[in-house]
Amino acid sequence: MRGDTLKPKKTNLLMTTRREFLKTSAFLGGSALLLRRIDRAFELLKRAEAGEGSALYELSRPENILRTVCLQCNTGCGIKVKLLQGVAVKIDGNPQSPWTMTPHLPYATSPFDTARIDGAICPKGQAGIQTVYDPYRLRVVLKRAGPRGSNRWRTIPFEQAVDEIVNGGYLFKDVPGEENRYVQGLKEIWALRDAKLAAALATDVAKVQKKEMTVAEFKNKHREHLHLLIDPDHPDLGPKNNQFVFMWGRLKGGRGDLIRRFTQDALGSVNAHGHTTVCQGSLYFTCKAMSEQYVRGEWSGGRKFYWQADTANARFIIFVGASPFEGNYGPPLRSSKITDGMVSGRLKIAVVDPRLSKTATKAWKWVPIRPGTEAALALGMIRWIIENKRYDARYLQNANKAAAKVDGEPTWTNATWLVKIGPDGRPGRFLRAKEVGLSEKDEFVVLRDGKPVAFDPYDEKTPVEGDLLVDTVIEGIRVKSGLQLLYESSRTRTLAAWARLCGVREQDIVELAWEFTNYGKQAAADIHRGVSQHTNGFYNVLAWMSLNLLVGNFDWKGGMIKATTYDIVGGRPPKPFHLGAMDGRLKPFGISIIRHEVKYEESTLFNGYPAKRPWYPLASDIYQEILPSAGDGYPYPIKALFLYMGSPVYSLPAGHTNIEILRDPSKIPLFVACDITVGETSMYADYIFPDLTYLERWEFMGSHPSVAQKVQPIFSPVVSPIPKTVRVFGEEIPLSLEALILGIAEKMKLPGFGKDAFGPGLDLRRPEDLYLRMVANVAAGDAPGEEVPDADPAEVDLFLRSRAHLPKSVFDPDRWRRIVGDRWWPKVIYVLNRGGRFDDYERGYDGEKVRHKYGTLINLYSEKAAEIKNSMTGKPFLGVATYVPIADSLGRPIADEAAGYTLNLITHREIFHTKSRTVADYWLLSVYPENFVVVSRRDAEELGLRDGDLVRITSATNPEGVWPVGDGQKVPMVGKVKVVEGMRPGVVSFSLGNGHWAYGSTDIVVDGKVIKGDPRRRTGVHANAAMRVDPYLKNTCLVDLAGGSAVFYDTRVKLVKVG
Amino acid sequence: MGDQSGAKATRRKLLRSAISAAATLAVAEVGTLLKGATSERRAGAEERLPADNEVLRMHQDLERALRKPVEQRQWVMVIDTRKCIGCNACVVACIAENGLPPGVSYRTVPEVEVGEYPAVKRVFMPTNCQQCDNPPCRKAAPPGAVRKRPDGIVAIDYTKFRSRKAFEAAAKACPYRALYFDDGRYWTQGTPRLQAYETRPHVEYGRRWARMEGQLPIGAGRKCHFCLQRLEAGMLPACVTTCIGRAMYFGDLSDKRSLVADLLRRNPHMQVNANLGTRPRVYYIAEDVQKGCQVCHG
Repeated sequence: MRGDTLKPKKTNLLMTTRREFLKTSAFLGGSALLLRRIDRAFELLKRAEAGEGSALYELSRPENILRTVCLQCNTGCGIKVKLLQGVAVKIDGNPQSPWTMTPHLPYATSPFDTARIDGAICPKGQAGIQTVYDPYRLRVVLKRAGPRGSNRWRTIPFEQAVDEIVNGGYLFKDVPGEENRYVQGLKEIWALRDAKLAAALATDVAKVQKKEMTVAEFKNKHREHLHLLIDPDHPDLGPKNNQFVFMWGRLKGGRGDLIRRFTQDALGSVNAHGHTTVCQGSLYFTCKAMSEQYVRGEWSGGRKFYWQADTANARFIIFVGASPFEGNYGPPLRSSKITDGMVSGRLKIAVVDPRLSKTATKAWKWVPIRPGTEAALALGMIRWIIENKRYDARYLQNANKAAAKVDGEPTWTNATWLVKIGPDGRPGRFLRAKEVGLSEKDEFVVLRDGKPVAFDPYDEKTPVEGDLLVDTVIEGIRVKSGLQLLYESSRTRTLAAWARLCGVREQDIVELAWEFTNYGKQAAADIHRGVSQHTNGFYNVLAWMSLNLLVGNFDWKGGMIKATTYDIVGGRPPKPFHLGAMDGRLKPFGISIIRHEVKYEESTLFNGYPAKRPWYPLASDIYQEILPSAGDGYPYPIKALFLYMGSPVYSLPAGHTNIEILRDPSKIPLFVACDITVGETSMYADYIFPDLTYLERWEFMGSHPSVAQKVQPIFSPVVSPIPKTVRVFGEEIPLSLEALILGIAEKMKLPGFGKDAFGPGLDLRRPEDLYLRMVANVAAGDAPGEEVPDADPAEVDLFLRSRAHLPKSVFDPDRWRRIVGDRWWPKVIYVLNRGGRFDDYERGYDGEKVRHKYGTLINLYSEKAAEIKNSMTGKPFLGVATYVPIADSLGRPIADEAAGYTLNLITHREIFHTKSRTVADYWLLSVYPENFVVVSRRDAEELGLRDGDLVRITSATNPEGVWPVGDGQKVPMVGKVKVVEGMRPGVVSFSLGNGHWAYGSTDIVVDGKVIKGDPRRRTGVHANAAMRVDPYLKNTCLVDLAGGSAVFYDTRVKLVKVG
Repeated sequence: MGDQSGAKATRRKLLRSAISAAATLAVAEVGTLLKGATSERRAGAEERLPADNEVLRMHQDLERALRKPVEQRQWVMVIDTRKCIGCNACVVACIAENGLPPGVSYRTVPEVEVGEYPAVKRVFMPTNCQQCDNPPCRKAAPPGAVRKRPDGIVAIDYTKFRSRKAFEAAAKACPYRALYFDDGRYWTQGTPRLQAYETRPHVEYGRRWARMEGQLPIGAGRKCHFCLQRLEAGMLPACVTTCIGRAMYFGDLSDKRSLVADLLRRNPHMQVNANLGTRPRVYYIAEDVQKGCQVCHG
């Protein structure tokens, strides 16, 4: 029995393992590492027999270690969880994950050999133990016993909760004011169920939007089915099914597929939305615009992603609004690649940030920029680079794939493509060859040595290069090249004027630009939220990415690279399982509640400018729109809201505006949350279903842009589940997101769940039916010949012994084996024994480039953006990097300074916390008991503030400086001042993660008993409610109309001394 | 073990030759990596392995040291403050590894700001028990409570160090503030339920302890011991492996081939309060020894 005895365990098994390893590794040229470890093992065995140290220390025994992934933040480092008698007691980095060691250990290394080698992990990762074993975790379903947000709850059996949610009824008749409130259950909201009918309706809705069919014609044709629509006069809103909304915070693969199967494929709702715009928003959507490809006459296929620097190989990186030592993605993954580079002389970094972050303090240069002027700094650099000709001309001249190929370049841009200039001087569409009689094909045009040349961007045979700076007239049409437009944008100000605008020195701009262009392709501009979370975020991102284009560093070692992952869903050989397969799948249609990826002008709701609320043709997952849109009933009211692992009230800027909407049953008739505790948003729910933490569940992490290798880190249950067990589809599983979804699916007999969900004989009755098969898909690889080896008998035995503490509700090896089949079972074990799949370090690179290339056109100029109208102003967006001043949703300047709100509020990340969920970790509180209002010394002196003074944070839209948490209750936004030298005067900041008023920090009542809160969790201040509310939208923060970002950094505040 | 030992010996001989062949391969592999990372280097850049091969190298150093008798090992810690990013992973890793309660922190990472806007720097200074060769705590503590091990670690006998008064005398004598008193608190006390990880057995000084019902080390003075329990299991100290900046180094200074010996040979370094004659075993590599350190140490 593990862990009970002081006597060393003399296991012949260990001996056998070593012998077999000797045989195979010696003859197959196994890595020297393996051989070194085997040598060591002999020594240890000798010592173990003598009863020495290693026998005493149980955490290094292979059978006490399980490998999974951390989710204390979204970086997702591979971890080893060390257990004693089934209790997780220590977490360390998994050295086979590229996140925790550089270079990481080879994938073939056995778990016996990595047992004693720990990779790096940050303090949050270490503290994950306390997230799992949080005394405030829910174990049973709660239903509210009072008005929303009253913190009064009743425990309720799972089956009863599911029944109420599915069937509806007078569910809250014991709550004063809701005695006669009838709640529509999901079965009523699931109005349209026939896939064929849905497809027919969707086709005709598309026709209506394209004005190929009138609304009247539609209504006539489908008169028997109009009752299934939200509003027959506006058929493009889609079916009533769309009034079911599923929103989430921190969601990864696997669970994401389950939620989409439930919400979209089965229930037929378009409204499955994530939180992207509260994170990096416009960073994703600008890169999406830059990655749109020209296919069949349209720009499409843009990827929702972004690039980051290849940290281990770059020689110069400018981090803008990014602090990899504290946040970003993420400290263990990137820090040592930077510190080692700096100490060895390989790497020099500059940091652009109003605050002297921990990253900035190690930098060659810290540029304390004025928030909101990030594009200006980039444009100043761009101007200097173009005028000094320090760009990569050879790269920029390539107009098409063939030209790029000749130069050995994986990517190319439209820097030389000619753009038509309208009579008002505004750049619009690209010139087409047809328009100037150069070709009958749908081709573009460059100027080469003064002559226009037609070309196909994807032509692999005929290289076409264009002149870089072009401003001319062809056949009467005024045209300019993309680079010319960028140059002109940079020339709207002198360098000195750009510097004044940014609040930096002209010399800094020049030095940055010089340094940036001094390392060929091994220099990168690596940007994050500080650039994107402004009203002008889209254009800020475009400006900095344009800098990367000027040096042509994409796909090069040391340049800008992208993430690459092993597919989990399958559907093509060699994947054994197609987990997207589903009979009777509904294809959702209609405008979403957040009006994403649709043009205002193409909807039947079009009613001139400004629209009632913004429309976002270029973005999706617009977190700040979900609840406020429901609150406005625009484009339509909703009937039910499910919230998973998210806290929009806490996380959003001006998140307090969501509170009144959530509290109002007429706006959100049914609100179900899936959460591990009662948090700042789930406290307003009707029902809370407990969930498993990341150490108790399955998920598939994906990767991050700076990881060059192809990977798929995998979460699997490593500790016994905390929530209670329930029965769904005849299976015993813990209360969890899966239980919630499967329970409802069973009750409603939803297609795609239960028996034969994935096809004949392939059920979905319990979580492993989906997730284990995903592991098998990963084990198979993405192409023939990529199968992982079978786990050998010793590894199989280890796999079983190390999971012996897990109950049958989460681990049953016989059942697991049946789910994937005998062929894949030993490969699934191989993968899970390593915590996922990670290509070896060298396989991330291919000579001087990365192996996994972005490899195609990158848009310096976005025709797609230039053709889309801002739904609030009616004016088109801009296609090239431009400095756009901070503005409200109607494009008007915000004049709060005049009203005395003079300090620019920003936020920052301390490594001790992620947004809303780490305050439960007391180990972290011991090093960082509370956060502060960080003020520059100059401002402190002017305001008469000293270290430790209490100040209330107020703004024009929150002059009281409080969180209105409901029913007249107010939580003041008061924090302690910390005076520093390392802050740009005029800017104040607080770190995210403190200032809680739920999440175990305050008393709640469950079944009439008071559960006392822990005041240690209440410390500090959370000032998101001071962030500016948009004056036109009134119930939402400031927004970036183009890229969708929720704006964190453009608010002016006043600090009012308290006491 | 008769005949078996003969067969074993042959196998081991084969293995060793395979190792030396493979060791060459390993170096060549690493050499390739080195080349890739440092082509076109800045003038004056160090010829070094990519950082995390240093972890494997420290493991090798450790194995070599553990093969020596204990009195021939000379453990030291080298902290490269140029690479410390003030994340406190080491502090929390140590708490988790050694089952530390509230009030006990074998490691801290104080931070100071130096300079004036905009010429400012933040300095991070990881500290822990320096395992002095001339430990002031030993003299101030009750007899036998603190002893100096042959490998350099200063070890505590909890059974002899279990009074507040004794602790205070020793703590006062320590110029590094390395000693802490375990007053019996728990992290989850005051919450709905005390959690299992708080009373789990942990290993220190060659035996198991469990902080329950007032048992030792509750009521005793505690401090860093270079994760002796991990060393004896062939592992590096927790603070060393968890460090995300790769600022922490550990090894046997008497071994000329060790990474720690290498680092001290190649880099200017200093020790804290060395003038007090404590002869600490922790060395610091710092970028600007004068400016950064003077803020606290004058």
